[in-house]
Amino acid sequence: MSLAEIAFVLLAVVSVVTAIAALLVRELVHTILWIAVFFVDLSAIYFLLEAPFLGVLQLGVYAGAVTVLLLFGIMVTRKRIFSREAATGIGPIPTVLALLTVIFLATAFGELPQGSVTIRSYDPALLSVNLFGPNGPWLLLLGLIMLAAVSGAIYLVREGRE
Amino acid sequence: MTSLEPTEFLALSGALLGIGLFGILTRRNFVLLLISIEIATNAAILNFVYFAAFAPSAPLGLTGQSIAVVVIGFAATEVAVGLAIVLALNRAKGTINVANATELRL
Repeated sequence: MSLAEIAFVLLAVVSVVTAIAALLVRELVHTILWIAVFFVDLSAIYFLLEAPFLGVLQLGVYAGAVTVLLLFGIMVTRKRIFSREAATGIGPIPTVLALLTVIFLATAFGELPQGSVTIRSYDPALLSVNLFGPNGPWLLLLGLIMLAAVSGAIYLVREGRE
Repeated sequence: MTSLEPTEFLALSGALLGIGLFGILTRRNFVLLLISIEIATNAAILNFVYFAAFAPSAPLGLTGQSIAVVVIGFAATEVAVGLAIVLALNRAKGTINVANATELRL
């Protein structure tokens, strides 16, 4: 087992454990802490996959902005931020549905090339050329959708709306 | 030069999708619902990054990474709109439990 493989297995275990912990702990602030660890862990996986630009983007957007936004959402909607959430059990039907999805996905593994594959590394400069060149329309679309989202969000939360 | 197995990566993203789906189906708190959606979206982004890393040609891999960048932007936008809905729901109903959101009009 190579060093990269051991690192990947460790990171994968941490990401699955933190994702489950985030959904199962009773205090919402602890959920945010677990999900922050999850996002940082995913960015480490991106660095392992030789995608440094995406790793940094994941750290900035998810571990930075999204975590703070979620914390802000909790702070403004409850009087005491450390108050506990009412226990919602692990329903049997949702658990079975989620497990069935995972099993269905696992059946496709036989179709994949077996054995290890060498990871390709890319220069971030080439990525930006590709991002603003052939994929430019997608970025424009993203900008338009963000503009619409900002105006929609401001409309939803503005004071004095009837 | 590092080399890894694609199957392990797909097992990870499949597990993350399952966890996200489980959260979407069971949680009643809007913030927890948003977090579950983020976990499931991250599984999808992770898939784009793996297949970019294992791509047969460089332009194909770069396109995969570009799509991952765009999807990260979309997911962040979705959280911002989701939190605006959380605030509006809290103002209208006094709670962020989605079981109480029975009207389309907030």
